[in-house]
Amino acid sequence: MKLDRRSFLRKSAVAGAIFAAAPFIRTAPPGRKFRTALIGCGWWGKNILKEAMASGRCQTVALADVDATALEVAADQVNGLSGDTPKTYKDYRELLAREKPEIVIIATPDHWHALNTIAAVSAGAHVFVEKPTGHTVNESRAMLTAVRDSGRVAQIGLHRRIGPHHVSGMQFLKSGAVGEVGMVRAFAHGGGDVEKPSLNEAPPDGMDWDFWCGPAPLRPFNKRIHPGGWRNYLDYANGQLGDWGVHWLDQVMWWSGGAPLKRVFCAGGRPVRGVPVLNTKEQTSDAPDHQVATYEFEKFTCVWEHRRFADNNSEKHKIGAYFYGTKGVLHLGWRDGWTFYPTAKSAKIEHENPQLQEPDGHNLALLWADFMESIDQRRAPVAGIELAHRATVLPLLGMVSWRVGRSLAWDAATERVIGDPEANQFLSRPYREPWIYPSA
Amino acid sequence: MGLRSSMVLLTVLCAAVQAADWPQWRGPGRTGISAEKGWLDQWPAAGPAIAWRAAVGLGASSFVVGDGRVFTMGHADGQDTVFCFEAVSGKPIWKHSYPAELGDKFFEGGTTGTPTLDGGRLYALSRWGDAFCFEAATGKIIWFVNVQKETGSPVPDWGFTGAPLVLDGRLILNVGEAGMALDKATGKVLWKSAEKNAGYSTPLPVEIDGRLLVLLGSSKSYLAINPVDGKEVWRAPWVTEYGVNAADPIVSGGKMFVSTGYGKGAALFALGAGAPEEVWRARAFRTQLNAAVLHDGHLYGVDGDTTSIGGIKCLEFATGTEKWAHKDFRTGALSMADGRLIALSGTGTLMIAPASPTSFTPTASAKILDGKCWAAPVLANGLIYCRTTRGDIVVIDVRKK
Repeated sequence: MKLDRRSFLRKSAVAGAIFAAAPFIRTAPPGRKFRTALIGCGWWGKNILKEAMASGRCQTVALADVDATALEVAADQVNGLSGDTPKTYKDYRELLAREKPEIVIIATPDHWHALNTIAAVSAGAHVFVEKPTGHTVNESRAMLTAVRDSGRVAQIGLHRRIGPHHVSGMQFLKSGAVGEVGMVRAFAHGGGDVEKPSLNEAPPDGMDWDFWCGPAPLRPFNKRIHPGGWRNYLDYANGQLGDWGVHWLDQVMWWSGGAPLKRVFCAGGRPVRGVPVLNTKEQTSDAPDHQVATYEFEKFTCVWEHRRFADNNSEKHKIGAYFYGTKGVLHLGWRDGWTFYPTAKSAKIEHENPQLQEPDGHNLALLWADFMESIDQRRAPVAGIELAHRATVLPLLGMVSWRVGRSLAWDAATERVIGDPEANQFLSRPYREPWIYPSA
Repeated sequence: MGLRSSMVLLTVLCAAVQAADWPQWRGPGRTGISAEKGWLDQWPAAGPAIAWRAAVGLGASSFVVGDGRVFTMGHADGQDTVFCFEAVSGKPIWKHSYPAELGDKFFEGGTTGTPTLDGGRLYALSRWGDAFCFEAATGKIIWFVNVQKETGSPVPDWGFTGAPLVLDGRLILNVGEAGMALDKATGKVLWKSAEKNAGYSTPLPVEIDGRLLVLLGSSKSYLAINPVDGKEVWRAPWVTEYGVNAADPIVSGGKMFVSTGYGKGAALFALGAGAPEEVWRARAFRTQLNAAVLHDGHLYGVDGDTTSIGGIKCLEFATGTEKWAHKDFRTGALSMADGRLIALSGTGTLMIAPASPTSFTPTASAKILDGKCWAAPVLANGLIYCRTTRGDIVVIDVRKK
């Protein structure tokens, strides 16, 4: 007979000692643990899963990954951290059918988010899924619909919604201390250089590369793509705009209460990294090495900039968003916290340091705690899919404008580009068989 | 467990070198321990004497020292460079540059391997498979071969990193699934292994039951091969995240100690006729980059990943019991001589402390470098060679006057 944790505790006088001896487990609150699964066992997925384990409220019952080695490593690490012995699956659909998890963490590359999320909520699980919600706009819409229909909680990995200096910075902004804000400039700059092609090779033993590519085009395997590098391959993600851009454009959505976008224009390219290469022998990434996107809203204009070259100290801040108001400029940043530069010469600069979890500089513990609480209280989580979808649409539309090379007039109510059939085609993309593009 | 330690004769082979030189990765006995005695383990409050400084470019490459010369590697402006300096004065003797990628995957990039000195020759292997044999005195190239192109073996994520091992007439490299060998005189390929990812350890020669074997950290296991023909003898499956089996195994008394990072931890295996059998497992001893040292039945090593706070720990070899932990060391590295640990923290503080299972109590400590330090400090002939990953070298003089 299997005992659940509560009856086990009742029946065993030594249970406390046994649990205390397990390494790294924090005291579990009373009650049953959530049957938790992770789809996508890479660096970030395991960061999230560590928070689930540290919460003491989740039992890791299963892991899914298309790479058998990644699965083996993750299962061993989970066992070391929590004592749990998760079952391992290559196919997330099989995991969902057999394990019936109550919580599913999804940390696959962007091109998988929609199919994974829709399958998980349809199987009855609450979902913690990484940003951006979709790889194309209509995937994100389909995720939104599926979550709404399921009545399950979906927390999107936008941890900057709950990071302490983001919360206080946003309070400062909304208090009126910055005055009337008419313009925002969001950005993420870093270094880089010419990109030389690297040789394609056979996928690692035990990795189903075809499955990894899934609904997206099947590129030749290359170490630059996996692990981690896929963010700069447009088949699987949307470059720096889709990765960093969504975090900071989400701050703009948070501040503006999801202001409807009216128009976007995005320019950029690869003058430094070079023309993308893709042939049977070798390849490079293909995401732009810099982009500038202008987003027009009714009451303000927002500019996104990123640059992956010329990393230096010529600018005060390299990452974050400037909110330009009549009383001064607020910079909301990452490891540099937030800083207010007042207009009045007599006023002092105000500053708050960040409180981040290192080494990766995030606030996943807080975001996970909010996720747990939103499940308990049946309330919306701080990074729910409604606003996260709107935030995701911004970089995705920037990419469409960049592809078609013109500005797009956006109908935020119907989520269609006005009078531009070609651009509207880029709101979806063909899936590779046998995968079927999800419908909203 | 089937332990047959009394029946297993096992000794680490020592290269024939001068007593106080450090001609290869982890020193003459490949133990991380120097036989040198009578050096200063204390210095004035103002800090230790500095013999010389230099800058060699990006990299985690360590040093080798012999015949009055010291060698290391670094990367700058699309080129790797092999450097030779006068060991005592730091005067440049020769250098050789060749085109190489920066390879800045999840770190700042640069050279990760260390050259090997043997019989007046210096052997160097780049991350991308460029293998060189130099005349150590002059830098003249005796032979060159790109072993990646020659064998078709893939370059693992962080490049080929293990130092070349000179063993009899062969140069054994951690390239391919289970190593490869070149003729050390000509660079000709003698044997190779399957075209799969290598690990990052340096091939370690051991004698087990009178049989000469070479141990390698491969991408998914620690394995033993016959250096004559490259045939695999046994393997201990050991899967570490990203295939980073980097720290050399440590063999003593018929047992093999293995430890890697990314939460994997450590284990002791009993070696016998068949496959190794696990004796114990300890998760909280994770040597990600540099192997520990073994002294009087205790292991001293750096626990933690480069992204973590890191620390030095002491572990009992026979049981895996943790004896002490010194925190806030980052992922620095250590070596040992005359019963003392020579520990360079990940942020550039050099400490000398008796190797004791009781505590870590430095007799000397000084901040000698600014920046990240991953390479183990090397003591040779009264000088301690230290560097940052940025390539700033400082040489500490601990000779008794």
